[in-house]
Amino acid sequence: MIKEKLAVIWVLCKKNISLYIKRGPVLIFGLMFPFFITLSWVIGRDISFNQIFIGIVAMTAFFTSTAISPVILPQETREKSLERQLYYPISIYEILLGILLASFLYSLIITLIITTTFVFILSVSFSSVLQIFILIIGIGLITFFGSLLGVLLSAIPSDMTSDIMVVSNLIKFPLVFISGIFIPLSITPFGLFVLSLFSPITFFTDLMRFCTSNSSFFNVGLDLIILLLWIIVLLIANVVFHRRTMPKRFSEGNGTQQKSKKRMNK
Amino acid sequence: MMSKAQSAIKASNLFKRFGDLIAVNNISFEIFEGEIVGILGPNGAGKTTTIRIITGLFESEDNSEVYIFNQNLRKNLETCKSKFGIVPEISNSFRDFTVRQNLLFTGRIYGLSKQEIETRAKVLLNQYDLYDRINTKTKSLSKGLQQRANFCLALLHDPPILILDEPTSGLDPISVSIMRKRILQMKEEGKTILITTHDMQEAQNLCDRVLIMNKGKIITDADPDTLRRNFKQKSTVRFQIVNHISTNQINQLEEKLKIKKEKSGYYSFLSDNPIHDISSLSHIIEHSDIEVKNITIKEVSLEDVFIDLIKKTKRSENND
Repeated sequence: MIKEKLAVIWVLCKKNISLYIKRGPVLIFGLMFPFFITLSWVIGRDISFNQIFIGIVAMTAFFTSTAISPVILPQETREKSLERQLYYPISIYEILLGILLASFLYSLIITLIITTTFVFILSVSFSSVLQIFILIIGIGLITFFGSLLGVLLSAIPSDMTSDIMVVSNLIKFPLVFISGIFIPLSITPFGLFVLSLFSPITFFTDLMRFCTSNSSFFNVGLDLIILLLWIIVLLIANVVFHRRTMPKRFSEGNGTQQKSKKRMNK
Repeated sequence: MMSKAQSAIKASNLFKRFGDLIAVNNISFEIFEGEIVGILGPNGAGKTTTIRIITGLFESEDNSEVYIFNQNLRKNLETCKSKFGIVPEISNSFRDFTVRQNLLFTGRIYGLSKQEIETRAKVLLNQYDLYDRINTKTKSLSKGLQQRANFCLALLHDPPILILDEPTSGLDPISVSIMRKRILQMKEEGKTILITTHDMQEAQNLCDRVLIMNKGKIITDADPDTLRRNFKQKSTVRFQIVNHISTNQINQLEEKLKIKKEKSGYYSFLSDNPIHDISSLSHIIEHSDIEVKNITIKEVSLEDVFIDLIKKTKRSENND
């Protein structure tokens, strides 16, 4: 039974990767955004290679993981293929896990490629194998968190990708800017420091500092636990919100559907 | 009427509300194995919502129950869902997948092996004259071809129940003909078919039984022939009078057959027994100098019954 369920999730995941990986919003928000933000941050500033490495990896992981997952549900609601999938003998959770897995794999692979590339370009050194191992675990956790956040954002029962992207950017950018990506926690003003505790990226960048320079602000174990807690919170939130909003996607009087029809007619 | 073999779909007390709107209002019905049942109704009658409840997409409220081949839908959702093949009005396959990719995806979801999918897909695509489009993206297919692809997708896992939501709406006559033939063939193969349609001729020709819905309620559940037989309105006989006739002659016709002159110049009268009344008309004509041509009989159609029922419902609501 579990084997069959996993097979279905894998089929859904493959479908998501082959259909959505080349879509405009995924490429723009997943690859171009982190590239240009990094560029504007680095050029003309005296920033250490380690700090640049942390920024590049953190932004790649977070932006790629939140790029694909919010796009799929609104797109499939609009094309009615979501309704088709719900007529199949599968549950909403398998559909969501298919999206989550696709987003996670896409993001993990890209982030690992970028990480490896920049380890060599910026001559980043690790003092132990444990640090490499923790870095990979950390990348896994932050990409999983980002994918879950993306799936959660798509719980808004809209069939317009742009609606989700607006909300998505309202949440994603503050999470990046208040984290320790641009300013190390040790020199962050107190107000910003308190705010930064609400961003899981803070704990990921802290974990990366341990891996690259042995100088983390918090304990590495705490970083990992907080990332795990965020994942658990988002898992629960996804179950609650999607259960509530999924039927609204198919009700005839759904406001968002009427809105999109009006936009289409214009 | 089919022999009441096994219950394929049994729905009791279905109820669904969207905000203030009651889309489905406490309806019950049963469909038996091998039947073709049509759900008819004006827009917003609750047809699609009913289908969405019995296929597990929506949860019905209150104390409603749906049984698919005697299995409770709520308790055995996935098993029950696997009994359905659904053809929507608007294509909902993955637009950027080819027909083949869509079939592979669907087959995999139903747990079929690649070999099984290929074999079954080949048969279906040939039946629906679509094999040469196997590598075409579904978004590039015409509406008729997309609908044929939808039939292939719905039948891939050989489901015992087919749900067809306005399957021939907006299609060219050739596609419509192919679809209707296949629907009748599927009935012969023993499949249970639930079809929603606005096309009364289609319902009359295909369905063993029709459920007429209005404002979330089933107002009639009967076979089309019985509905037409029991309909109070009569058949209409129409004809043209070629030569000039006197007022006296018109009065004579009006008196005997209650003939009326239409705006089109045709004369018509309502009849319980059109053949008998046409012979009466011939008798009158023989004994006069009236020349008649183009005599036609318009039988009571399911459409007449449908329109009358919907009007009656509206009238009774207005009176309430």
